[in-house]
Amino acid sequence: MRSVPPAGTGPEDAIRLVTEVCERAANGDLEARVPALGDTAGAPELRVAVNGLLDHIDAFVRESGAASTAAAEGRFHRHFLTQGLDGAYRTAAEQITHANQVMSRTAAQFADAARARQALADELESAVLTASEQVATAATEMGRSANGLADFARSAVTDAERGLGTVSSLRTSSEEIRHAVDLINQVAAQTRLLALNATIEAARAGSAGRGFSVVASEVKNLANETSSSSEEIMNQVNTVQQSAADAIAVLEAVTNRIREMSDLVDGIAVAVDGGHRSGDGGLSRLAEVLRSEVSRFVTTIRQS
Amino acid sequence: MRATEVRPTGVERTFGEDELIVTKTDPRGVITYTNDVFLRVSALTEEQAVGRPHSLIRHPDMPRAVFQLLWDTLGRRQEIFAYVLNLAVDGAHYWVFAHITPSFDRTGRLLGYHSNRRRPAAAAVQTVGSVYARMLDEERRRSRTPDAVAAGTAVLEQILGEHGRTYDELVWDITDGSAR
Ligand SMILES: Cc1cc2nc3c(=O)[nH]c(=O)nc-3n(C[C@H](O)[C@H](O)[C@H](O)COP(=O)(O)O)c2cc1C
Repeated sequence: MRSVPPAGTGPEDAIRLVTEVCERAANGDLEARVPALGDTAGAPELRVAVNGLLDHIDAFVRESGAASTAAAEGRFHRHFLTQGLDGAYRTAAEQITHANQVMSRTAAQFADAARARQALADELESAVLTASEQVATAATEMGRSANGLADFARSAVTDAERGLGTVSSLRTSSEEIRHAVDLINQVAAQTRLLALNATIEAARAGSAGRGFSVVASEVKNLANETSSSSEEIMNQVNTVQQSAADAIAVLEAVTNRIREMSDLVDGIAVAVDGGHRSGDGGLSRLAEVLRSEVSRFVTTIRQS
Repeated sequence: MRATEVRPTGVERTFGEDELIVTKTDPRGVITYTNDVFLRVSALTEEQAVGRPHSLIRHPDMPRAVFQLLWDTLGRRQEIFAYVLNLAVDGAHYWVFAHITPSFDRTGRLLGYHSNRRRPAAAAVQTVGSVYARMLDEERRRSRTPDAVAAGTAVLEQILGEHGRTYDELVWDITDGSAR
C-alpha cells in the first residue's frame, strides 16, 4: 500500500483513489485503505474518515467471525469485544454476545445432561452385567440340578420297574406253588383212599394182615398230615399273593409319579438350557442377549 | 529508530476508552498501514512507521516469550490476544490489549496480519505486569535468545499450570475480571 502519493495529487486523483478503495471494500476486500491524498483542502480529513470507517467495519467483521467461531467450538470464554465499537456496531455485537451466551448455557445444560446420561449408562451397564452374570450362574446351577434330578428320576423308574418285575415273578412263583400243592393234595387224597383200601384188605386177611394194617394206618396219617400242611402252605401262598398285588399297585403308582416328575424336570431343563429347536433361548442365552443388547444401547448412548 | 535506541522516560501514555489502535503488516511483520490513533500514541509520522518492522515500538520490558507465542499462534493461522507494553518513539510507554489476526484472500492465501488494540483496564495491566516481570526476570538470566525464550515460556507455562488455564483462558479471565 502506498501512503505517499505521486507528487501533485490533485482533487480528481483523490476522488478516484477514495472511489477505488470504497469499491474494493464494498466487494469485501477489507484490506483496502485510502493512501495519502495530497494536501487538497479536506483531503487528509477525508482519508482519516474513510480509513476510520474501514477500520471499524474491519474490526466488526473480525470480531463477529472470531467470536462466532469460538462459540461454535465451545470456547465460550472468547466473547465479542465491543470496546471501541459504537452505535449499530455495538448493538449488533451485543446481540451476537447474547446469542453466544445462550449457546453457552445450552451447551452447559447439554454437557450436564450428557454427563448424567453417561453416569446412567455406566450404572445400567454394571447392573446388567452383574444381573446377567448371576442369572448365568444360577442357570448353570439350575441346569446341573435339573439334569441330576432327571438322571435320578430315570434311575428311580428303572429301579421301580425292576421291583415290579421281581414282585410279578413272585406272583408267578406262588401260582406255581399253588399248582404243586394242588397236585400234592390230589396225591394225598388218593393215598388216603389207597390206605383205606389197604386197611380193609388187611382186616380181611386176618392176623396175617395185622402188620400190614399198621402200615396202612401210618400211610393214612401221613396223607392227613400232608393235607393239613398243604392247607397251611395255601394260606401262606394266598397271603404272599395278596401282598404282591398290593406291592405292584404301590410300585405302579410310584413309577407314574416319578414319570410325571421327570417331565417337569425336563421342562425346567429346557427353560434353562434352551430347547434344541432353533431360535429357542434358554436362560443363559437370554442373559447373554440381554447383556449384548444393553451394551449396544450403552455404546450408542455414550457416543451421542 | 529501533525501540532499543529509544530511552524510556517512564511517562505513561493512554488513549481513549472507545478508540482503536489499528495497524496492518505484511506476513513478515512489516507495517503496511496504521491509523491516526497509532501514530499519535506512538509519536510517529506515517512516513516513519510504514515500511518499518513492528518491533519499531518494542519495549525492552516485554518478555520475548510473549512474541514467540504471538508468532507461533499466528503461524497456525489463529488469532491471538495479548497484553503488550509499547514504547513510543518519544520515550513514553503505553499498554494495549492487542488482538492480532491473520488476513486471507478469497483463496485462503495469507495476505498479512491485522492488529486492533484497545485500552486495557488498570487492574488487568497490573496482573499482566507481574506475570511479565517474572518471565522477564528468568529471560534476563540467559544470554542466548533461544534460551531466554525457553526460560520465559517455562515461567508462563508454570503460571498457567498453577491456574489450570490455557493461555487464552487466562487472558480472558484477566480481561473479564478487570472489566470496568
Ligand atoms: C500485526 C502485528 C502487530 C504487532 N504489534 C506489535 C506491537 O504493538 N508491539 C510490539 O512490540 N510488537 C508487535 N508485534 C510483534 C513484532 O512483530 C515483533 O515480533 C516484536 O516487537 C518483537 O520484536 P523482536 O523480535 O525484534 O524483539 C506485532 C506483530 C504483528 C504481526
